[in-house]
Amino acid sequence: MTSSLIETPPPKTAFGGAFLRGKEIGVVIAVAVAFTVFALANGNFAGVPNLQTMGVDLAQYGLLALGVSFVIITGGIDLSVGSVVALSGVWSAWLNVHAGLPDVIAIALALVTGAVIGVVHGLSVTVLGVPPFVTTLVTLVAARGAALALTEGFPIDGVGTVFTGIAQYRIAGVPVPTLLFVGACVLAWLFLERTYQGRQLYAVGGNAEAARLAGIRTRRRVILAYVVSSTCAAAVGVLVTARLTVGQPSIATGWELNAIAAAVIGGVGLAGGVGRVVGVAFGAILLVLINNGLVILHVSPYYQQIVLGAVLAVAVVTDRLRSRGFERNRR
Amino acid sequence: MTALVDATGLRKTYGTVEVLHVDRLSLAAGEVVALLGENGAGKSTLVRVLTGATAADAGHVELGGRQLRNGDPAHAQELGVATVSQEFPLVGEMSVAENLMLGRRAGVGGVLFDRRATERAAGEVLGLIGADVPLDQPVSRLPVAQQQLVEIAKALGRDPKVLVLDEPTSALGPVESRRVIRVARDLAAQGRAVIFIGHRLDEVREIADRVLVMRNGRLVADLTPERATTEAMIRAMAGDEAEVLVEGDPPPAVGGPVLTVRGLEAAGIGPIDLDVGRGEILGVAGLMGSGRSRLVHALMGAVRTTGGTMSLAGRPYAPKHPADAVRSGVGLVPEDRARQSLLPLAPVRWNISLAALPRIAHRSWLDPAVERTFTDEVRKAVEVRCATQEQPIGTLSGGNQQRAVFGRWFAAEPRLLLLDEPTRGVDVAAKAGIYHLVESFAARGTAVVIASSELEELMRLAHRTAVLAGGRLVTTIPRSDYSKHALMTAANHVPEGAAQ
Repeated sequence: MTSSLIETPPPKTAFGGAFLRGKEIGVVIAVAVAFTVFALANGNFAGVPNLQTMGVDLAQYGLLALGVSFVIITGGIDLSVGSVVALSGVWSAWLNVHAGLPDVIAIALALVTGAVIGVVHGLSVTVLGVPPFVTTLVTLVAARGAALALTEGFPIDGVGTVFTGIAQYRIAGVPVPTLLFVGACVLAWLFLERTYQGRQLYAVGGNAEAARLAGIRTRRRVILAYVVSSTCAAAVGVLVTARLTVGQPSIATGWELNAIAAAVIGGVGLAGGVGRVVGVAFGAILLVLINNGLVILHVSPYYQQIVLGAVLAVAVVTDRLRSRGFERNRR
Repeated sequence: MTALVDATGLRKTYGTVEVLHVDRLSLAAGEVVALLGENGAGKSTLVRVLTGATAADAGHVELGGRQLRNGDPAHAQELGVATVSQEFPLVGEMSVAENLMLGRRAGVGGVLFDRRATERAAGEVLGLIGADVPLDQPVSRLPVAQQQLVEIAKALGRDPKVLVLDEPTSALGPVESRRVIRVARDLAAQGRAVIFIGHRLDEVREIADRVLVMRNGRLVADLTPERATTEAMIRAMAGDEAEVLVEGDPPPAVGGPVLTVRGLEAAGIGPIDLDVGRGEILGVAGLMGSGRSRLVHALMGAVRTTGGTMSLAGRPYAPKHPADAVRSGVGLVPEDRARQSLLPLAPVRWNISLAALPRIAHRSWLDPAVERTFTDEVRKAVEVRCATQEQPIGTLSGGNQQRAVFGRWFAAEPRLLLLDEPTRGVDVAAKAGIYHLVESFAARGTAVVIASSELEELMRLAHRTAVLAGGRLVTTIPRSDYSKHALMTAANHVPEGAAQ
């Protein structure tokens, strides 16, 4: 050991350096490549109508991925988001159509319901100690069931103009849901990287016991993460109902897996404590680009699944190799 | 009697420190040999050399007349050595029978798992130690004592001639300990040699045919049970009083009470009374399982207290969560860095600012520049050596990691700093640095409570040392009366009515 402190100034970050620091750079490049390839392969891909469609898709997948990332960062997992989307979608429609509540109230109540589901998840995980996988698996089944029970299997028709407006309005050509997603990203980024509670969320995922002994109220942080996740899912439910103009109980089946995949592709570590909003956003973008691009190229839906699986595999293996390299460095 | 283990001229050096210097050691079949010594006396190094886990620099070991290939654990196993360690490497969710037969196969057929044959074979193994453990239960549901028995039985499954029990009773209560001791005696009676590493002297006297005492890597005493009085064992472990030198004194305590504890009780400890003043360093000594860590955690609000009152700086103090403690100006450097202190993948910066976040934040807002400046100043103050504070803390040495953990509390100038084994896993050279850090906290008026298994550390740092045994406070020894002898005698005192 040397007697003097090694004083190396931190490397100066080049333009956008902090933004693209570390593992997020890979997914950003992948997005650029995928976009270029699809755009060259089919002239319609980069056209405004298709970009708008992708923007709305992105809002759906992206919001879910963003919410799930909060949970994964604490070291948990949320399998319930797809079902919560469905429940929130029909619940908001039911409140609006059958209970006769004004559009805005119906939407607000649907979001509150999402938050309550999140609180229940959080309490189950922290107070009861039920593993996150099991806790949210229960909701995966039960919320879907509730959505079906509420509608008795039939779509709820006739939602109000606020719903349809969300789906139809564009500001400077950008669909409202896409703008909502961008706003959510900014908020999530501010919270995770610019507030101390956000840092504590990472700490809980990085080492819960160390965080607790350092005086962090770990339970509150974990509960918050589940609330964010379920509320995002509820918001997506409203967006989907708005897009379809009906409350449809069978929507969003399996979307939880897309959301988790987007998060992991974006560099969120499943072990907890690692992941950034930039990565998650680009992970979701990549997912949407591939989905949409393959459709436009008339690739069979079966093959689309394979391609998505391959992308996920690359992301996971890269992550594994990187952390193994890190472990080797420690020796 | 033939010698099952015969070692000559064993030497082992780490850096410039000779940790093992044993000229002759021979163990006979049918005897239980207790190995005693302080932390770092060389017990585990000796055992690791005998079991092939560590290669000796010189010397050779014969097991049952055949020479052990130096540093080859598989060969040692082949020659009939088995070790039962303190932690339980059992598969919690698998049944007792499956654990006992792990890696071996019972019954006919190469592919299918034959439950009945497995349980029969496992039953035979358990029969060897006469243990009554339900075979079909998952191991995780068994009490610790039964897990320990399963672990011993598992080691016996290979029919070893030499069995090493590394502090097998440290996690056990008195009844279960007795059981393990009886098993050890039975095994010796079957013609095996048993090496029993122990901490509790009463136990050692009960079990051993011979007591070997190590100090500074050497065998300093080989006592028969008759001669192995508590007094004699402590004298051998502690060495001549003259050898004990306490270099340098801690800064004098400033005075004025900070922490007052009256009748504190928590699971396994208490009632305990303590007083710590401003700038005072209070040591907490005790054997393994005496409640050292638990006391520290109770003061931090990390374990639930069941009775008693505390006051901090004149105000009532009843932390229900470490967050309460931090807000009242208490900090903790836990015992196990990997599990209790570090965010291993996170940068040094995050690890330093972890406990200070609400303080350096503006309302909730965490300004990256403010944080960087803050952690960089702390990093320099506690001398964490790293290329940049953005590198993962896992890449630093143990000593530097520990300095960063100290740094967590440095800027806060806590009223009370709790330290649990502050130099564990820190190399000798870095220890002195940690000691200076502790003193610098005290010099600034922080009251320090330091729980440690290393007596030198307490004698070097603490103004007074409270000695725990069986969860109770036995005595508090002032600096002027320090001697290893006094501390060890107190630690081996079992208070009336305590749960041992």
